[in-house]
Amino acid sequence: MILLRLISWPYMRKHLLRSVLTTAGIVLGVALLVGMQTANRSVLSAFNQTVERIAGKAQLQVSAGDPGFGEEILERVQSLPGIRAAAPVIEAEADPGFPGQGKLLILAVDMTGDRSLRDYEFDNGDQDVIDDPLIFLAQPDSIILTREFAARNHIVSGSKITFDTMQGRKQFTVRGILKAGGMAQAFGGNLGIMDIYAAQSVFGRGRHFDRIDIGLNEGVTLEQGEAALRKLLGPGFTVEPPSGRGRHFESLLGVYTLAMTVSSVFALFIGMFIIYNSFAIAVTQRRGEIGILRALGATRRQVRVLFLAESAIAGLIGSCAGAGLGLIFARTLTGVSADMLESMFGVAQNVQQVVIDRAFLFFAVVLGTGTSMLAALIPARNAARVEPIQALQKGRYQVLGAGENRLRRNLALCAAALSLACLPLSANRVFFFAGFLLTLLAALLLTPFLALELTRLLRRPLKWLRPVEGALAADSLLQAPRRTSATVAALMLSLALVIGQGGVARASLSSIEEWMNNSLNPDLFVSTTENIASHGVRFPASMQQELENVEGIAEVQAARLPRIDFHGYPVMLVSIQMESVGRRIKRHMVAGDEATMNRLAAQGKGVIFSENLAALVKMKLGDMVDLPATTGTMQLPIVGIVRDLSNQMGTIFIDRQVYIRYFQDDTVDVFRIYLKPNISPETTRGRIVDRMGNGRRMFVLLNRDLRDYISRVMEQWFGLTYVQVIVAMLVAILGIVNTLTVSISDRRRELGVLRAVGGLRWQIRRSVWLEAAAIGIIGLVLGVATGAVLLYYELQAIQHDISGMPFAYEFPWGIALLLLPVILAAALGASIFPAERAVRGSLVEALEYE
Amino acid sequence: MNKAMLIVLCAAPLLAQDARQIVEESQRRGRANSQRYEGVLEVVGADTRVTKKSWQSWRLGSYGNSKAVIRFTAPAEVKGVALLVINHPDRSSDQWMWTPAIARDRRIALQDRSTRFFGTDFSFEDLEERDAEQYDYKLTGEEAIAGAACWRIEARPRQNKTSQYTLSRVWIRKDNYVPAQYENFIKDQPVRRLEQKDIQNIQGIWTPRTLEMTDLRRKSRTILRMEKLEYNVPLKEDEFTVQALRRDQ
Amino acid sequence: MISLRAVTKLYQGKRQIAALQGVDLEIARGEMVSIVGPSGSGKSTLLNLIGGLDRATSGEIRIDGQALTALSDDDLTRLRRDKIGFIFQFFNLLPSLTCVENVALPLHLKGLPRQEIDTRARSLLEMVQLGQRLDHLPDELSGGERQRVAIARALAFSPPVLLADEPTGNLDTHTGADILALIRDLHQRLNSTVLIVTHDASVAESCQRTVTLRDSRIVGDVRR
Repeated sequence: MILLRLISWPYMRKHLLRSVLTTAGIVLGVALLVGMQTANRSVLSAFNQTVERIAGKAQLQVSAGDPGFGEEILERVQSLPGIRAAAPVIEAEADPGFPGQGKLLILAVDMTGDRSLRDYEFDNGDQDVIDDPLIFLAQPDSIILTREFAARNHIVSGSKITFDTMQGRKQFTVRGILKAGGMAQAFGGNLGIMDIYAAQSVFGRGRHFDRIDIGLNEGVTLEQGEAALRKLLGPGFTVEPPSGRGRHFESLLGVYTLAMTVSSVFALFIGMFIIYNSFAIAVTQRRGEIGILRALGATRRQVRVLFLAESAIAGLIGSCAGAGLGLIFARTLTGVSADMLESMFGVAQNVQQVVIDRAFLFFAVVLGTGTSMLAALIPARNAARVEPIQALQKGRYQVLGAGENRLRRNLALCAAALSLACLPLSANRVFFFAGFLLTLLAALLLTPFLALELTRLLRRPLKWLRPVEGALAADSLLQAPRRTSATVAALMLSLALVIGQGGVARASLSSIEEWMNNSLNPDLFVSTTENIASHGVRFPASMQQELENVEGIAEVQAARLPRIDFHGYPVMLVSIQMESVGRRIKRHMVAGDEATMNRLAAQGKGVIFSENLAALVKMKLGDMVDLPATTGTMQLPIVGIVRDLSNQMGTIFIDRQVYIRYFQDDTVDVFRIYLKPNISPETTRGRIVDRMGNGRRMFVLLNRDLRDYISRVMEQWFGLTYVQVIVAMLVAILGIVNTLTVSISDRRRELGVLRAVGGLRWQIRRSVWLEAAAIGIIGLVLGVATGAVLLYYELQAIQHDISGMPFAYEFPWGIALLLLPVILAAALGASIFPAERAVRGSLVEALEYE
Repeated sequence: MNKAMLIVLCAAPLLAQDARQIVEESQRRGRANSQRYEGVLEVVGADTRVTKKSWQSWRLGSYGNSKAVIRFTAPAEVKGVALLVINHPDRSSDQWMWTPAIARDRRIALQDRSTRFFGTDFSFEDLEERDAEQYDYKLTGEEAIAGAACWRIEARPRQNKTSQYTLSRVWIRKDNYVPAQYENFIKDQPVRRLEQKDIQNIQGIWTPRTLEMTDLRRKSRTILRMEKLEYNVPLKEDEFTVQALRRDQ
Repeated sequence: MISLRAVTKLYQGKRQIAALQGVDLEIARGEMVSIVGPSGSGKSTLLNLIGGLDRATSGEIRIDGQALTALSDDDLTRLRRDKIGFIFQFFNLLPSLTCVENVALPLHLKGLPRQEIDTRARSLLEMVQLGQRLDHLPDELSGGERQRVAIARALAFSPPVLLADEPTGNLDTHTGADILALIRDLHQRLNSTVLIVTHDASVAESCQRTVTLRDSRIVGDVRR
């Protein structure tokens, strides 16, 4: 298009900085979107790849959640007609302690039978993977590693590696090297293969398996196999194709992804405002040019297409740059995501490569370009409306029409009224989200009006502060409301997001604080891991007696914390001595009577639900709970609902004896230890370590340690908020720089006069900065107000749609206050460059009549 | 790897219906109430690396109904590992393995018999005895193996899927009815060849003392020498149970 | 009071254009001088150089004995603020500020006490007979009135030098005469040195001295 080259290109080149800044919004939005999605996809794909590679030719997998199931299940499965192969599996993680190499995923299988499902030998005819299979089976310290992992750590066949086991730190002998490719790529190559019966004792699984991988006979469909297995095993078991595990993982990932996606969509949305702003300004500035074009015979359509094409090109370039930047982000984010998933859900991931989804990249670029074009739609229409005669007229055309203003205000009031009307109906999710969107719409529609009013209010203090610079800064904003309001809107949105996220963080922190004070009162915790979330190795039940014999210990509670599937949610089942817990912990009761609850639970006559789970699955006090267990379905009523934050997706408490009866699993994840009065926890910790710690993998945590750990995890999670603060600051800077750049070119003459009559350079700079600060403060005020509303909706959404946690509404004043200096600093930063332009230009030219 | 365990198929005179008779005669002649020997096993890999193992073997009964225990004696890493095989005339055998280091027995699942027997060139299936009734036999010619005249007989499993092999060829010596060589096929492709050599008369039974199994795809071979071989030794039924495996470690 | 020695001003473009070439000029304290010449002869450039709005390419300019070339940007600004008053053809008032605020502009920039600024701005406006228009915005005033406000602003610090670039160029004859009368009046009352760039012959004639520029050089210097 010749017009683009003749008209647009020179303009863009002349306003290079602004063109770059304009696209920066799209770059940022697309980068965030691509970064987050790619990171998540990479984690997910690493997981899927691991699952798939490990599953081998298995068509179905039988599992029963964390508790696993007894060995006898294997023979029952094997005896089922239609089953070609059924291979038991235990999966565990082990840390061989190679710096920077991460954990090993231990796949424990029965080598005598496993080859019908998994290929251990490659390049047929070549040397064996296992040096001597008989020795491999005969010696429980045998392990097979992948060639890749071995090469990275200079391991050869016969080398020893060590990691922690239920019996303490143990040495293992590498008795085989798995060739590259196929299964060896699972878990990023950090795969170790062991004999399943050796693994049972090494990882404390008793006579349990985690899973049975199934191959079906030819002619037996997946559905038939699945149905037959379900019928055979009952509801306590999950029978699904290997891909099913990926789906569960995806749903875990989903909670975490949501926050990320919201951020990137916001960034894009904000980018849209920046683009809108730039184009609105460009149309105003290029009115003359457009007029001449029209006078020369360009149709309105051509003018509109010209501007849309410009926005499309800007959007395309921005999106492509953003996609590239996003892929760079993704590298960092992938590690962060993987770490967070491990600390929160105990699902370790070893992500070796970033997975690039071309389709998604394409989608992101289209989205970015589309957003850009959408933003330019109104300015392009305005440009097309320019009459040829206006080519000869000069001056400002930024004043908002009174009619336009009134229309906006009325629409905003309608939206606000409707959103209020939605409030009482918000039990219905449609109304809830409609209300939320209407509120945002009202805020956006009101922005120009409110921005103008706030500027008027601000003029007085600004003038008082700096009679010349302050007043002129405010006047500059007042004279160009269109220029200002889009930037303010962008700022408002991003700050509202920060306030919303910060508020959620604060609300959850204070809930967690309360919960830690109530429930986390043991003096010591003995765990198999440095945190309590992930558990590869477990303790034998006999350890309780050993601990009780340690001097100074008053009481020991043994807890097993398997994750089970309940109504589709990955729920944590806490099995513990209920009688003891009832005595030691004062619960935050949501429903039921505490004494009755404790009595019934201790007698094994009921289960206790956490508040969030009850909300998610919509169950109440007295409801019967069917808990599928490996030995049949456990049926118990809910005898109490308590506030508990052990698990995001909810918690069910049952008495340890009931658990052992139904799941035939008496292993322990954590011992909670109460001391006798006046006994020092540090001393007791020393005693426990001395008496029992010899070689055993065991972490004795002080109450304080655990709290610190939980706080750290929370901080990691809330680190997101800080990312958003940074994004908000970037947006603030982008928007403000953009607006100021235009503003100083609009005010060129005015600033020239100021300099001519004696304004020193720093006085000019200050005026520019005050204008920036004013934009920032207006954005902040509106953002804080919008954020307050947003926070309400976010908390509601969390309670009803995400984790069921009922958080009290608490405005995050801390963050709001933090934002003030941040925004002022951002404004200062944003004003540096425009201010320099303002003081450097030629005075004579500035004073000439334009 | 005891001889009897390896006799899957055998034969008798001339015509097609006579093939079965040859096999049955071969099985009849090899029959003994029990058997004991000490085996020395050498696996020669494609890279000519040699690994050696020794074991003791006991067997009670013959053919379709036999029970056998193998207990490894060397090298040190595998000492005490034991294998129990209980053969059934009408179906595949049951097999258990005992590993003393973790004090566990494990059942070796039915589906997995085609896998190699602990790094040797024998598969688990090769250790089984199958009743002649499970196969169809056909005499396809006469050939000399190591200078001895033999009948060449083809055996096909009657039921699908019970064997990894789709076809086996066996050469049975005309003079003493001892199978001199087997060739096992999967889809017309020879995969394993077993040569039975060093045939001696022990307690009236012609017995090959050396078995050499060649995996034709991997190009490796396993040689088993049976020493101190005795027939009809006193053995009790209850020595051939999983409990006994655990007990006698 | 004002002294120029071999002042040259070149504009760099694709071609070098000389706006002034080797100009020498001496103006004594209290003189009222008009500068005339055709468009593009360098009149405005001369005025801008003297007023410190622009810097000469070579040569020396002294105001009150102070050499402008030696001054930093900010010092030049201070000199402008304290010693030079500007009157522009298009007034150059800030549209968002009232008359009194416009007049107070240089006073605020200097950072005088607010009370004093207020009194002074009011009295300045009264001096130009606009005491009744203190709180009007420039848009609400006539051209002549606006120029009076601009003059009041120029006089904020009673500067020894008053520079006027076509002060009547944007006004009708009658109003122009009024403004000129005001400038003459102020010149007499305040004894400032006044330079007026004009191509209005009547304006030029009303001055004691007329300097004529043509093609970037002084071609005439007449005292009457």
